[in-house]
Amino acid sequence: MEFSGLSGEIILGTLGQILPLIIGIIIGIIALEVGMYLFLARVVKTKHALPFTLLAPAIIAITLFMVYPLIFNVLLAFSDLKRSTFPCYSPVALGACELDHLYGLDYAIKNFTDVFFRVRDGEILGWGRLLRTADSTFPVLLGRTIMWTVANVIFHFTIGMGLALIMNMKIRFKGIYRALIVIPWAIPGVIVGLTWKQEFHAQYGFVNVLIQALGGQAISWLDDPAAAFVAVVFVNIWLGVPFYMVMLLGGIQSIPGDYYEASEIDGANAWQRFNRITMPLLRPIIIPAITLDVIWTFNRLDIIFLITGGGPQESTNILVSALYNAAFGPAATQQLGFAAAFSIIIFLILFAFALVWITTSGGLKEIYDR
Amino acid sequence: MNSSAAVKPASRSSLTGEGYRQLRQYGAVALLIGGLVLTVTNGMSWGYALGGALLGLLLWKPLHGILVFYSAISVYPVLRVISISLRPTDGLLSRSLDIIPPGATFNSFVELFTEEEFLRWVWNSLTITIAVSLIGIAISATGAYAFSRWRFPGRRPMLIFLLTTQMLPASMLLIPIFVIVAQLNLTNNVLGLVLAYTSTAVPFSIWILKGYYDTIPPDLEEAAMVDGCQRMEAFYKVILPLSTPALSIVFLFNFLAAWAEFLVAKVILQSNAVMTWSLGLNELIGTFNTDWGKYAAGSVLVTLPVLLLFMWQSKYLISGLTLGSVKG
Repeated sequence: MEFSGLSGEIILGTLGQILPLIIGIIIGIIALEVGMYLFLARVVKTKHALPFTLLAPAIIAITLFMVYPLIFNVLLAFSDLKRSTFPCYSPVALGACELDHLYGLDYAIKNFTDVFFRVRDGEILGWGRLLRTADSTFPVLLGRTIMWTVANVIFHFTIGMGLALIMNMKIRFKGIYRALIVIPWAIPGVIVGLTWKQEFHAQYGFVNVLIQALGGQAISWLDDPAAAFVAVVFVNIWLGVPFYMVMLLGGIQSIPGDYYEASEIDGANAWQRFNRITMPLLRPIIIPAITLDVIWTFNRLDIIFLITGGGPQESTNILVSALYNAAFGPAATQQLGFAAAFSIIIFLILFAFALVWITTSGGLKEIYDR
Repeated sequence: MNSSAAVKPASRSSLTGEGYRQLRQYGAVALLIGGLVLTVTNGMSWGYALGGALLGLLLWKPLHGILVFYSAISVYPVLRVISISLRPTDGLLSRSLDIIPPGATFNSFVELFTEEEFLRWVWNSLTITIAVSLIGIAISATGAYAFSRWRFPGRRPMLIFLLTTQMLPASMLLIPIFVIVAQLNLTNNVLGLVLAYTSTAVPFSIWILKGYYDTIPPDLEEAAMVDGCQRMEAFYKVILPLSTPALSIVFLFNFLAAWAEFLVAKVILQSNAVMTWSLGLNELIGTFNTDWGKYAAGSVLVTLPVLLLFMWQSKYLISGLTLGSVKG
């Protein structure tokens, strides 16, 4: 019996794949820990036997699922892997292979220079195209990524802070407002993206219907580059405000009321109280929240991918969406070796930023010193 | 909500002064009446009355006005999806802003189940999601405990590495994992997706659990244990039961992340034989056509359980997030 594509056979089939995996992993973890402990305590006799035993499953998993792929990614940057050469890199021969070597420095040099420059016969002709149009060059995409990140983080913070300050006052229906305002956070990103895409439809989307009801001109959100960028930034702001409101509200509520009472007696006004008490005391929350938000926003491509697909004329692409397109876009652009090099460069940019920001703000210092 | 808020007696406002407050009250009433008049003269378009009420509220009680306005921005798109899922097929392309559409029907829901393989998509997503959540906890629970309680060589570099993994662009892991999965011949297989999701779930889970263990005083297990061998017993008998909230938070976080994932699934599951609901709904959305109703119906069905879970558990979820990522 089958209903809506689901039948007993399919259920059993999936369970037959998943259950052995879960059970195998759990048994494997227990066996590993027991064996590891006996080995470390009896044979090696280290005083750190127990912590290393407890860490073993995580270390193995992270090595397998994270360290190994990352090393493999670096190796891929030294390869010429793309759609047409996939058979060469497959352990099973899938077809003819016209490459004489699989990995080499020459590929790496080409992959990394391709990110920045268009080179012919050893001569730099200009900025390289990361997508199809001549406008999609590295500096353009980097500039747009920075605009996207800065715009999002500023609005997330100011709106979230404003709402948190209001919610901290003695006000009725606080619970209801809070429940309603966090809703965007709880909705799956795919649904957010696809739904807003429809709502930005020039004729039937509610955004234009509302604008016209208020006497404005309909905007062709998805066909006009500037409007499309505003649209994706708007949706991402809409998504991110609840996180800030909740984090900041939690922080504000933990500030003892005495501070405010004392400053009120001293005649401080609302702005002074905010600037001299709230902001400094919230620093341990604000700095990590902004750090996380910058990292998340910089790397966030689902909203752009779903709403505009990078368009119109590739004008809403940021670095990570261009990267996704280079690796997994239409068959013609699938160049995994180049994409691997590109991804390393994007990561290094973000890492450099994080290093500078964290050391200057000192915000994450306590994380590993506890 | 506007009207119910408007009936409440005026409380102490930030802008004091009796005459000024009364002036604002009159203004609010005038705006409300103006909105109602516009509604009647424009053939009962209630938008005017709502707009008038909102403006009035903003004038009378600005703080409530702002909160109501922002709540409306948060909620309206959601209500809108529900409204579209109830539209009859011939009324899908409508410029109406009504929450309950004229001729409301559950047809789109019926079509979603009968014409599409919706249950199968949800089943695939559910098994993948539960597997990832369980494996994530099993791998990270003890490791996080070690990070929280012991100072051992390599601890700091490992923690910094875990933090750094949060900065990786998704594609940086996805490219090698895609190649590995393709080489293992696991594309179009749920196992490939489980492996891909687990790679991001483990560091995050360790981070959150470590934050939680840090808040449990070490005296607790020190009181329970006598020598090194019984330390494990103390962990399983004292710490793990105490960590149930944290374990459920990690389970929920991994669940929510994997449940809603789209871009990785699109790469790993390339044929239509195995689809998660996110891939299925993406297929439906193509353009404005009759499938829009089915898409909306599917969205409502996959979002509502998550939304209820989130609101029910939001306090724990939020404390878990702040513990893990902020207090460390």
